[in-house]
Parts: sequence; C-alpha cells; structure tokens
Amino acid sequence: MAGQIKMMIDQIIEERSKGNALLVSTTQTKLILKGFDPVKYDASSPDDPAVIARLRQVAADLNVTL
Amino acid sequence: MGIKVAQVADGTVDAGAKLAAQLGDPAVVVYFASPKHDPESLAAEIARFFPTAATFGCTTAGELVTGAMTKGAIVAMGFDKDVVSRAVVAIVDGIKDSTDGIDRTFSEWDRRLGRPMLELDPERWVGLVLVDGLSGAEERVMERIGDLTNVVFIGGSAGDDVAFKQTFVAADGRAASNAAVLALLECPNGFDVLKTQSFHATRQFLVPSKVDKAAREIIEFNGKPAAIAYAEALGVKPDQLADQFMAHPLGLMVGGEPFVRSPQQIVGQSVRFYCGVDEGVKLAVLDSTGIVEDTASALKQALDRNPGTKGLLNFNCILRTLELEAKGQTDAYGKVFAGIPTAGFSTYGEEYIGHINQTATMLLFR
Repeated sequence: MAGQIKMMIDQIIEERSKGNALLVSTTQTKLILKGFDPVKYDASSPDDPAVIARLRQVAADLNVTL
Repeated sequence: MGIKVAQVADGTVDAGAKLAAQLGDPAVVVYFASPKHDPESLAAEIARFFPTAATFGCTTAGELVTGAMTKGAIVAMGFDKDVVSRAVVAIVDGIKDSTDGIDRTFSEWDRRLGRPMLELDPERWVGLVLVDGLSGAEERVMERIGDLTNVVFIGGSAGDDVAFKQTFVAADGRAASNAAVLALLECPNGFDVLKTQSFHATRQFLVPSKVDKAAREIIEFNGKPAAIAYAEALGVKPDQLADQFMAHPLGLMVGGEPFVRSPQQIVGQSVRFYCGVDEGVKLAVLDSTGIVEDTASALKQALDRNPGTKGLLNFNCILRTLELEAKGQTDAYGKVFAGIPTAGFSTYGEEYIGHINQTATMLLFR
C-alpha cells in the first residue's frame, strides 16, 4: 500500500490551518522541524509503519484527530 | 502613545527609576539587561517602578538599542495600549525536565482570555519567548508551544556575557534560571516577523544518519563519522574543520530559507551543535555572506511591507555579534537600526517556530 503518509500530512495541515494560507505555511514549517517534510511524500510513497506511527503521535500532539 | 525605548549604562544605580523616567507609564515593559545588573533585584525593581505594567525580560550577552550595540547596559521598550492592547505573561519553571508548565500556562491563559489558545487570531496575537540560554531545552519548549497554538512565538535565549555559567529570564518581579518567559501580546494594528541570516545554501548536503539528540550531537553523516563527512563536504582536512564552523554551518531548508544549525565543537569524531538535529533530515552546507548588508536589505524590505512601523525587538545571535566584533562592524550593525525605535540583545539562540542559530529574529510592531 502507498500514499497514507501523504494523506495524513495533508489532513494535519488542513485541520490546523482551516484554509488560512499563513497557517498552512507555519504548519508545514512545524512539520519540517519535526522531521516530516511534506514535499518528500506523495501518493506513491510506501506506507512505512514506523513513519506512520511517528506521524500519529505528531497529530496527537497537534490536537488533530486522524 | 506608541513605543518608547530606554537605556541605562553599566554601573547605573537606581536603574528602575531611570527607566521609568524615560518610558513613562506604559502598559508593557520588555527589558534586556547585562548580567552585571543583579537579575533578581532588577526584576523586583522594574516591577516596583511599573506597578500597572506587565514587565518581563532576560539577561544578555550584549544589548541592542536604537542605532547602537551596547555592553553592560539595560535596554527596555515600553508599549502603550494603542500598540499592545492586552498582554499576559508567565514564567514557566523547570524546563530542563518537562514542558508540562507550558500546558498549564496555556490552560490558565485559555481561562483568562475566554478563548482557547488554539483559536486566537494569529494575525492579531503574537507571542514572545525568552528561554534560559543554558537550559538546552529550547527545541522542546518551541515544539510544545507550536503544538498548542497557531500564534507565532519569537524570541531568544538569554545570555550571560559569554561566561556560560548562568542565565536568567524574568517576569513581573521574579527572575529564574531553568525557566522560560512566555508573553502573549494582542496587537490591534498588527505586526510582522523578520527572520534573517547571512548565508546562502551550497549544493552540498549532509544527512545525519546517527544522532544523540539530547546532547545535540551528530555522530554520523551519510554513514560516516560526522567530523570526517563534514570536512569532506567543505574540502578541508578534519583538523581544519572547526575553523570553518562560523562561515559554514548547516541549514534545514524551509521554503528556500535556511533554519541554521550551528556547529559548536568536535567531540571525538562527532560534531556537537547549538541546537538539536533529527536523523534523516537533509541539511544544506551554508556559505556566509555579509551580516550588515544582508540585515539592512532585509530590514528595508520589512519596513517597506510595514509602513508606519512603530518599533522592533531584535534577537540577534551572539555568533553574529562575535563576527561583527571580529570584523569591526558593530557600529555599522547598530546604525542599521538608527531610524527605528529598537531594543534587543545578543542571544544564545533564536526562536521562531523552532530553535535556530546564527540568525536575527525580529518582531516589528505596527
């Protein structure tokens, strides 16, 4: 399977920014500083279980329900 | 009305009274003081002379004031309510061990403001953060703040005149180490953030493949001992690497701009940095450019974007200050800010969304 990481990142950005362009940018920066560069993942990125687990924790820290 | 800047020199007695004489009766006072002024008594004195204001600050490794860089001084900025209509300030203690105090502070602010921190308008509210510069906790502090709110927090790590023994932050009459000051400001006319660093990215990249994050050490880049790989990237011998640190730090690239990670020293074959670095995160090798010219250009652009800016706070890395001193450029750097009310200090690290190095983070008030 592939693409789940990209979907999770997109959902975190959408939930935190609510479409506000300023918040899209700052949320992307926060994710990069946490080690998840949004441009590094696309629909064909493999569903690495370790990455997905870390991203679930990031989402929880950001108060985003995936 | 607006913003006023005050300064008292080294050896001044009655500093609180002298600051009050210059600032009048502002709603908020931010101050940056050389450690030559006892931090605890100064915090109490400033709170006593500004009984109706929110007061906060920290110790420095040099100060910045309108048109000049100083040593041994206290600089302060006072804000009237037309610039900062509301402010809440808190000291978060025990940051080396835990960031739980940030959660508690924000919960308290939720109640005081009647709105969750997560729902505040990030174009009307801005945060300032001052951190014990020897705590090594800045990354965790900034990450937790960013988790809990969309408001941008910027600031710096307190200094101690390059003694590296103890730094203090202070708020509302109390000074503390192993602590951070958080201040949330409502700016009815808005604000802008300027982050500037004098580097450009080369085409060389290093990827940490083994790190000790707590120690801020990179053990391996690209599967090689870190010092060896870093030296190879710069085309120098490993024993020449440390001499290259100031001019060639690494940058985590975000939207084409580096978040600078500055190497501190070689430990065995590892490299210790001034901020934590994650495994697997690609870092660009940076080349230095001119601090004075770059800062003047970045400030001009920021002021053009924000006509009528009333003043700015500048959190300027001590490594930049040391470079300016080595090149005899401190006067020139100070003069970059001659046209605008300015207060700031030389920091042991800069904060903007995350923890960064060799950067100036500035907050412009409209």
